[in-house]
Amino acid sequence: MEEMKCYMPKTLKEALEIKSRVDVIPMAGGSDLMVSHKRTIGLTPVFEKPVMIIRNLPELKRIYLNEKGECCIGAGCTSSEIASNTLCPWHVRQAASRMGAIGLRNSATIAGNIANASPKGDTPGPLYLLDARVKLQSVNGVREVLVSDFIVKFRTIDLRADELITEIIVPYSEDDFDYIFWHKVGTRKANAISKITVSQAIRFEEDGKTVADYRVSATATGSKTNRSRDVERLLIGKEISSDVIEAVIAGFDQVISPRAMPEFRREATRRMIRRFLSQAALHPADKVIDTYDEYHVTGQPIPRG
Amino acid sequence: MEANISFRLNGEMVSISTDPLRRLLDVLREDLGCIGTKEGCSEGECGACSILLNGHMVTSCIIPVGAVDGQDVMTIEGVSKTEGGKIIVQAFADGGAVQCGFCIPGMVIAAYYLLSNNPNPTEEEIRLGISGNICRCTGYDLVVESIKLAAQRGGDVWKR
Repeated sequence: MEEMKCYMPKTLKEALEIKSRVDVIPMAGGSDLMVSHKRTIGLTPVFEKPVMIIRNLPELKRIYLNEKGECCIGAGCTSSEIASNTLCPWHVRQAASRMGAIGLRNSATIAGNIANASPKGDTPGPLYLLDARVKLQSVNGVREVLVSDFIVKFRTIDLRADELITEIIVPYSEDDFDYIFWHKVGTRKANAISKITVSQAIRFEEDGKTVADYRVSATATGSKTNRSRDVERLLIGKEISSDVIEAVIAGFDQVISPRAMPEFRREATRRMIRRFLSQAALHPADKVIDTYDEYHVTGQPIPRG
Repeated sequence: MEANISFRLNGEMVSISTDPLRRLLDVLREDLGCIGTKEGCSEGECGACSILLNGHMVTSCIIPVGAVDGQDVMTIEGVSKTEGGKIIVQAFADGGAVQCGFCIPGMVIAAYYLLSNNPNPTEEEIRLGISGNICRCTGYDLVVESIKLAAQRGGDVWKR
């Protein structure tokens, strides 16, 4: 008998059963795997292991709030489905809406973006920021791991051979914060691979001055997405002042380790943190704090020269 | 390895026996005669191979044919026979949108997908709608104008 090199399960149960006995590569959208394994025009991609196509599994397509009010996003939900669903937290929607081209966003899935474990992935930044977890399912049971632990390092994830990512659970949303920030620096408005993306969120105590919660994460600034609770604690419990802003900036600068164009990436990251915190300090201000550039104010490109 | 794969193509059921990991683009062009679907970048970024899968625009170069088993596929051959498709094709011709023509099947699919979901797009929305379709003749302005024309001419066709 010819060796199976592609499985096409119709249900999650069937998929988990296959995963329990065969070492397969799960493929949903194909936007990373089909490209990384492509050959030349007209030739079929070749994979090192059998592939299991899970694009249409209905169990992986749901978006809902669980009993704790956490947003649960099915592993097979595409970027377009996430971007257009207001149950999904704002930061996650922003990242999903600016990933690749439209045709790609209609294929690419959130679980694929995580499992690819690229430091330039768009969704991990917001998912780290909001303490999101991946739900990993196998025939033997279910476990949940923080996305920030699941992505171990560049191109490496904490997934057992019998497991499949089935859901992403996001415990926080924009409602938990007073001010939110997400900005992707790309070379174009569409189709861009991230040069840097910074996500931030802050909440004040009832006095409106003391910082109760502050978070910052950055992608494409090292071998994996960066977030540091130690740096965030420099601000928590304090009032925003220029000294503490500079301390946070200096602290985060130690956390990131961009390789290509490091000074550009460091400076852009510093500016985005400074912008967000200095605007939030004006409390009350607009909830969504953006970078101040003409492009965002007018929708027109910035004149050059 | 071969598998039997059946799906709806431009309204008709088709059934083929093939390697499920072949790219949908190759199966459409080589086995099913849908050569309006073009191969540009092979990475899902240029939009030349755009098709509609269950009504959503996708790039067929990154989709293994096994993933469309039981699904609904529309290519430019099908779209250009619909009422809206005919309006877009005529508007592209009248508006001078076509230079070399290679990106145009993908552009028409993108315009169809846009107008089906947004019958009266602003210029900004049109530009976003075709942002995943790259034209190396760089004639985007006339494509944008032609899509505006198709929106006007289509009227109620797009609101159904």
